[in-house]
Amino acid sequence: MRFVDEFRDPELGRAVAGEILAAVEPGRHYKLMEVCGGHTHSIYKYAIDDVLPANVELVHGPGCPVCVIPMGRVDDGIALAHEPGVIFTCFGDMMRVPGSNGTLLDAKAAGADVRMVYSPLDALRLAKANPDRQVVFFAIGFETTAPSTALTLVRARAEGIENFSVMCNHVTIVPPLRALLESPDLRLDGFIGPGHVATVVGARPFEFIPAHYARPLVIAGFEPLDVLQAILMILRQLGDGRAEVENQYARVVPYEGNLRALEVLSQVFELRPHFEWRGLGFISQSALRLSDAYADLDAEQRFSVPGVRVADPKACQCGEVLKGVIKPWECKVFGSACTPDHAIGTCMVSPEGACAAYYNYGRLMREREAV
Amino acid sequence: MRVLRIDEARALALCEDEGGNRSSVEIALVDARVGATVLVHAGTAIA
Repeated sequence: MRFVDEFRDPELGRAVAGEILAAVEPGRHYKLMEVCGGHTHSIYKYAIDDVLPANVELVHGPGCPVCVIPMGRVDDGIALAHEPGVIFTCFGDMMRVPGSNGTLLDAKAAGADVRMVYSPLDALRLAKANPDRQVVFFAIGFETTAPSTALTLVRARAEGIENFSVMCNHVTIVPPLRALLESPDLRLDGFIGPGHVATVVGARPFEFIPAHYARPLVIAGFEPLDVLQAILMILRQLGDGRAEVENQYARVVPYEGNLRALEVLSQVFELRPHFEWRGLGFISQSALRLSDAYADLDAEQRFSVPGVRVADPKACQCGEVLKGVIKPWECKVFGSACTPDHAIGTCMVSPEGACAAYYNYGRLMREREAV
Repeated sequence: MRVLRIDEARALALCEDEGGNRSSVEIALVDARVGATVLVHAGTAIA
């Protein structure tokens, strides 16, 4: 398939790996964060880190939409799902995310009408087909997914569908990156930038990273050659003493982003003053809520939502994993009490979660020899 | 996904992924044409 096959060429992959090896300085340790969970998944699916020199360490960032949803929001969703007459809809991964007293899947088993959808548009179709029911869509995701929710709300308004509403949990990527860069726990040398978020927001929002923190960021695609090339571009910047935003994923990402998407986002959403991230705590202006113009389609205004705040289970170290402070296999419950079939933490639920990626691709322990 | 058919009035397209699975996709954010490849997230083409 075009845009896919040519970026999975093993010979080219080996050639880029050779260039990476030539670009690293012996004795220098490089700590690079892949921001997006999609990159984490690709890195382990294609065993990309196996071809990297041992002094190039990949650290997994907070860009997994399911992983960052706090337990309290899950509990709020479950409470909404139990409201009489409600059809509660969400993406499949979200159904397995643990709240303080079970998952949405458990709520479904207990009688709540919880349904998996592939898109918010599916939820809107359910609303049209069930005019005597209230259909709530539990919206999650970064700027990549938010346009889909926004367009669905615009469509609901245009078609006069009043039994549809959204519980909005959309988050934005820049505030947690800034928080990580300010964290004393973590020293990073550069970033593999989130290619699909950048498709929507463009490159400009990431320019504060080289400007204020003197770290390179390379926006990257998700095929193995994309990731390898992005790593090479970061290493070359570091070798040259440069710190810039570069765009490896130019076949998809325009510098200015998707202007139509940005326009619809600005119509439908506004920034929340603060939002809780699982493991990361409250981060200012890091999430979206429906704007006043769409407030009547806001499930949190239409229904009474408890607003639960729940501390993460003590055994779970998703917060440290999401901040890149520890590797998944360093978590006390990884692969024992916490597995994809019985997840304690969100990072084990979604395929984009670092713990699930490690577990599913056999990285139950990871030690590499130094070159 | 590859665009197979476009319903311009509804800003929707019938698209097919590399596995042959077909679905209806919002195309209001892109200039889609039949035969083109679009990047789809949560049912919406974003590029």
